Amino acid sequence: MQSEKTDMKIVPLMDDGYDGEPAKRVLNYLHGHKEKGDPIVGIYCGYAPIELIQSMGIVPASLCAFSKIPIEAAETVLPANLCPLIKSSYGFIIEGTCPFFAMSQAIIAETTCDGKKKMFELISEVKSTFVMDLPQVPDQIEAVQNWKKMILKVQKFLEETFDRSTSDEKIETALKASNRKNALMQKIFDYASIKPPVISWQEMYDVAFLAQPSTGQEIIPVLEQLIEKLDMRVKDGIYFGKPDSVRVLVTGCPIGGDATKVFKVIEESGGIVVAPDSCTGMKTFMGRFDENTGDPIAAMADRYLKIPCSCMTPNTKRLEDLSVLIEKFKPDVVIDFVLQACHSYNVESYKVGNHVTNNHLLPFLKIETDYSDGDIGQLKTRIEALFESI
Amino acid sequence: MKCAGIDIGSRTIELVVIEADKITYSLKTDTSYDPVSQARGLLKTISYDRILATGYGRALIGSCFDMPTITEIKAHARGAIAVFPDARTVLDIGGQDSKAISLHDTGKVKKFEMNDKCAAGTGKFLEIMAKTLGFDIDDFGKEALLAKNDVNISSMCTVFAESEVVSLIAKGCNRCEIAKGLHNSVIRRATGMINRVSSAGEIVFTGGVAKNSCMCNMLADKLGRRILVPDDPEMVGAFGAALLAGE
Repeated sequence: MQSEKTDMKIVPLMDDGYDGEPAKRVLNYLHGHKEKGDPIVGIYCGYAPIELIQSMGIVPASLCAFSKIPIEAAETVLPANLCPLIKSSYGFIIEGTCPFFAMSQAIIAETTCDGKKKMFELISEVKSTFVMDLPQVPDQIEAVQNWKKMILKVQKFLEETFDRSTSDEKIETALKASNRKNALMQKIFDYASIKPPVISWQEMYDVAFLAQPSTGQEIIPVLEQLIEKLDMRVKDGIYFGKPDSVRVLVTGCPIGGDATKVFKVIEESGGIVVAPDSCTGMKTFMGRFDENTGDPIAAMADRYLKIPCSCMTPNTKRLEDLSVLIEKFKPDVVIDFVLQACHSYNVESYKVGNHVTNNHLLPFLKIETDYSDGDIGQLKTRIEALFESI
Repeated sequence: MKCAGIDIGSRTIELVVIEADKITYSLKTDTSYDPVSQARGLLKTISYDRILATGYGRALIGSCFDMPTITEIKAHARGAIAVFPDARTVLDIGGQDSKAISLHDTGKVKKFEMNDKCAAGTGKFLEIMAKTLGFDIDDFGKEALLAKNDVNISSMCTVFAESEVVSLIAKGCNRCEIAKGLHNSVIRRATGMINRVSSAGEIVFTGGVAKNSCMCNMLADKLGRRILVPDDPEMVGAFGAALLAGE
């Protein structure tokens, strides 16, 4: 990535030897905890109550996978026309090649979609798994109550599995630390709202991957340093892309590993990603926990159910949040990224497209793809044509 | 000023030269396994002041011959509106891509739909099916129009459709009727794409498949909309690129 102004290579933001390889960085983080004897629990998505886990001194490890390599192995058990994220995650497990899964002593699984639900049944044959029944009509009054009950059940599962305990005070402390962590993450993302952006998609993605499992106490000093570096970039006039690069907001399914082909095609076509609106990007850092309520588990349940995943119905919050992101990050176009066989994101794309074109008057493109490289030429034509239509 | 457009498609390469927005020269050749040499051969025959490359192979040719590029979506839209200024919808079915495009009154692309990475419903599909049935691709549409009854082909995938065709032949079905059924399956896919981008008005049909009379008739019947086919539908992309080169 070159800076237009100085024409010098920009020093990577984290600059810790893991730049562009966020999975390796997180693995290194987990190894550090493993050596200290900390228990590790596998999780699957942004609804996992990370602060509860952390309040017990347990370390969460995300098991969602983004590599095409284990898909062939997965297809010996799972149907080929399934979501690549599920196939990749499961393929790593049956190949025995996932260090994150190997390190996890138990699994917390959230019922976000049918494919994952049925995969969890297969995983539970291999490792102790607790399936959290995620309410999917979040506006109903019972939804938060039920999610709170489910978090209490996970607490019991973790206490029994790991012989650890927690308290309201410890959870409250974890929530406050997460609020600080998430506020700093939002601040870091904001550097992409500057025209032209002073942070790249790769850097946002690198930071987000590490920040998600980290406790507030661990990551806050790191984030504060990054903000200082970003302020220096602003001062030095360093930025990414060109001043007239097409600003792209990418919404939809999580993007990582082989799926980042979409980000790369956007760049090759003269665009710059200014807002990665997904669970591997900004989504899990949005919002905040109510503090000092006297019932931190309820506060946690309330905040988690506000994550606007397409598994929720109606998912009006996704459109509301998207409007806020559009106002802030000022994209020229919006791309909706849908993974093959992710029916909820795929169907919801129609509403997202109408919202973007009618209410924000921005060009919109839905991309449906998997982890393979076979459609890169077609993606390029679509994305270039989208940019031409501005 | 002489402006040129070169459209490097998956099956053929077209070259168009225009002066004062009128085509003065056009040439076509197979893309083959070596599109760079093929393009070089075409380019040798002309002189021009400005040029734009478009189509599937635009990046390769653009970098080899140092030419700016645009997508075939923009090129077909520009070419189509130049031939039929009142049209606001374009359907392009080429060798391995099919796309439906709707246009703003200014001629700018409003919305587009493209087939996914599979070649179902494209020229390649029709070509393989014609071969399976022993028809020349140029007569495939005419022969399909001779069918008296409808045969339904449910497979969209080229490989599956070929097995379906083989089993219909084994059942003793008339090959013109099978041909019509195959055309119908391409039409179903194309109309789906068109309806997602526009709901009314004339449609300009471009790309090699627009030369197929059965496709044009069936499209018009199914959509109840007028289908306009330029004289040389395969040249529309290169013509659009030449016009854009001059703008």
